[in-house]
Amino acid sequence: MKWLRWLVVALYLLIATAPLAWMGLSSLKRRADTISPHAKVLPAAEAPSDPTSPRFEATLDAYRELNVVHAGAQQSFWRHLGSSVLIGLVSTLASVALGTCCAYGFSRFRVPGAKDWLFFVLSTRFLPPLAVVVPVLIMYRTLDLQGTHVGLIVLYTVFNLSLSVWLMKGFLDEIPRAFEEAALVDGYTRAQAFVRVVLPEARTGMAVTAVFCLISSWNEYGFAMTLNSSGAVTVPAYFAGLQGNIEGMPWPQIAAGALVFVAPIVLFTVLVRENLLRGMTFGTIKQ
Amino acid sequence: MSSSAPRARSLAWALVGPTLALLIAFNVFPLLYNIASSFTNAELIGGEWRSVGGANYARVFEDELFAGALRRTALFVVCAVTLELLLGFALALSLHRGLPGKQVVLTILLVPMMLSPAVMGLYWNLVLNGNYGVVNQGLTALGFDPPQWLTDRDLKFWSILLIDVWMWTPFMMLIALAGLNAIPPSIYEAAQIDRARPWKVFTRITLPMCTPVLGLAVLFRATDALKQFDLVMAVTGPNDAATQTLSTLLYQVVFRDGSVGLGAAFSCVILVLVIALATVFTRYIDRLQSKDVTA
Repeated sequence: MKWLRWLVVALYLLIATAPLAWMGLSSLKRRADTISPHAKVLPAAEAPSDPTSPRFEATLDAYRELNVVHAGAQQSFWRHLGSSVLIGLVSTLASVALGTCCAYGFSRFRVPGAKDWLFFVLSTRFLPPLAVVVPVLIMYRTLDLQGTHVGLIVLYTVFNLSLSVWLMKGFLDEIPRAFEEAALVDGYTRAQAFVRVVLPEARTGMAVTAVFCLISSWNEYGFAMTLNSSGAVTVPAYFAGLQGNIEGMPWPQIAAGALVFVAPIVLFTVLVRENLLRGMTFGTIKQ
Repeated sequence: MSSSAPRARSLAWALVGPTLALLIAFNVFPLLYNIASSFTNAELIGGEWRSVGGANYARVFEDELFAGALRRTALFVVCAVTLELLLGFALALSLHRGLPGKQVVLTILLVPMMLSPAVMGLYWNLVLNGNYGVVNQGLTALGFDPPQWLTDRDLKFWSILLIDVWMWTPFMMLIALAGLNAIPPSIYEAAQIDRARPWKVFTRITLPMCTPVLGLAVLFRATDALKQFDLVMAVTGPNDAATQTLSTLLYQVVFRDGSVGLGAAFSCVILVLVIALATVFTRYIDRLQSKDVTA
């Protein structure tokens, strides 16, 4: 049976990685090679004389051309990546800060109806973005926030609160209360005990929570494309906007941009591998 | 704790208050707005609201588009969750007895679920393209007559489903692994002493002991698949009769047709479905946590 287990794992390893590997190859091609009727699988230093050859001339042009503004877009990939970074980082900081405070309140104090509140927090995550986006859009038009960085930052902060509260509650519950009680006996105020005793203990939890908030705003598409289709467009909405443009899809640049875009996520996946399950299940399963 | 009760209570509300207020503002306000506008002819661009009574709801329940999107979404949820559960569980069973380099293999396997569905969905358009996609070039080389994955009316729905399976099978595997790891080895040792057959061990021990966490996995995936939007938008766009889901139809109604009132009625109907599912979900988590099987 051992060979069967090996086979299953090896096969799925191939399925999981092949699209990303192909993306890597595509990013080294010219557009004609990405849409050639003959599979181009082998990078070579020079263009082959036979057009049916599986070889293609490898080039880094696609990466150099990431600053090109394509038909169907208003800015270059790098500018949109900048929007994604800014919106992702600021909303993550805000979500983790608010979520940590809220989780601390639920973890250490008696809040009336705590369980109902917590489930309310969780259930906000179940709503399809499209079912709430129109009222938000109207609200944003009135406040002049549509198509701005601030608008999406606020929205993603709120959107990630469910994740941040539930994850942080799990992490804070694991810190023994005796630590703070000792600090209070030593004459610390509540706030001092929270900042100097609890927060340092919760560092790992906050880092893990931040990574998951960042990934979820990084990848978000529904709100991004409906609220910010004209200004402060994040990368997923930018790529989607390239579809159906008259010049045809710039596949090498898309592949190169997508690789640059997913690279930090792959890195983060490796960094938080011990806490992946916890993060993906809002802390309801602890590894 | 030690501080006086009223002070502790106001401190507690100061801590949880801002978060709860934000969540109420961004969830309850839209809900009320949707309920109010669902009885009107509200449009996306300008115009005064005029009451139309229950006409929007009548359309939601009579229109074949809505029934079709609901059927398709239900089919998508059931098929995606089932396939991902079966594949994920098979993978978990293959991995959990330990293979060389298990941690590395595991981390690589998990990458697809962390990526952006919108971006990866767009990229799958190139991979599955009927004329120059590498999948079809491979199939042709092997002597098959390859199908048109993305344009064949009967096939494109299943192509989107396959991309979803590619993304989310690792999630099921991850949860299944946690379930398998939580089974104490002593139980298997006892079964070995009793000379229980492998199949019996699987159906009487492995499967029942994994069921609670697998149930949680199914609920997580089901609520997510119910919202399916990104992949459909990336592969066929919102207005394709063969692939339209609840979310993409809603996009079409509100943002392409501009019918906010109708969209709001539609949102309210979806909301009832989501709340029903969410209630099942939260009760389930509550039960698991009080039994402490997840800790």
